[in-house]
Amino acid sequence: MATSVYLSNPTVTINSVALTDQCTSATINYVYEQLETTAFGDTARKFGGAAVTSLQNNSVEVELYQSYAASETEATIYGLVGITTNIVIAPASGAASSTNPTYTLTGAYLESHTPINASLGELSTITLTFSGGVLTKAVS
Amino acid sequence: MTKYIVTSNRLVGYEPGDVIDGNDLDGANIDALIEGGHISTQSERKSAKTKTIEIED
Repeated sequence: MATSVYLSNPTVTINSVALTDQCTSATINYVYEQLETTAFGDTARKFGGAAVTSLQNNSVEVELYQSYAASETEATIYGLVGITTNIVIAPASGAASSTNPTYTLTGAYLESHTPINASLGELSTITLTFSGGVLTKAVS
Repeated sequence: MTKYIVTSNRLVGYEPGDVIDGNDLDGANIDALIEGGHISTQSERKSAKTKTIEIED
């Protein structure tokens, strides 16, 4: 039977700070760069292979409500621009398991941040893209 | 190793007032945590020493 996922309560931790209650969107892009290994004699293009390990090129994009209160979004994010940190995202709270895998992006770089992103009559939000780093998946 | 006092309720796995060190913050950027008010290097204040002086008339 097919199953579908509706994520209403994932957990999002940035630099060891829980920002789940400020987060409305999270996307993990798990990427190994594509290296071509096609050679003479091949009849179709080939990529990768048992002896070829390419570089990971991962990224995480999150959307957060902006808040300038103590220990909230702005206080947590502003100091991370231009440096690397760790991001942890899981589909739900609780311990990591096969049905609640916890993904950790270690050494991700935050290039930019928009401290002010405001429109009249709307809650202010920010969108952050953390690039690079090694992605690991924990199921226990 | 430098000790830090947890000063916010958002640091995962710790409560405000907990004392931790860099090893407890696996991979986290400590400067950003301090700047963000999540931890502090300030130690708890000790009460001032009192000295009683008796003055004889």
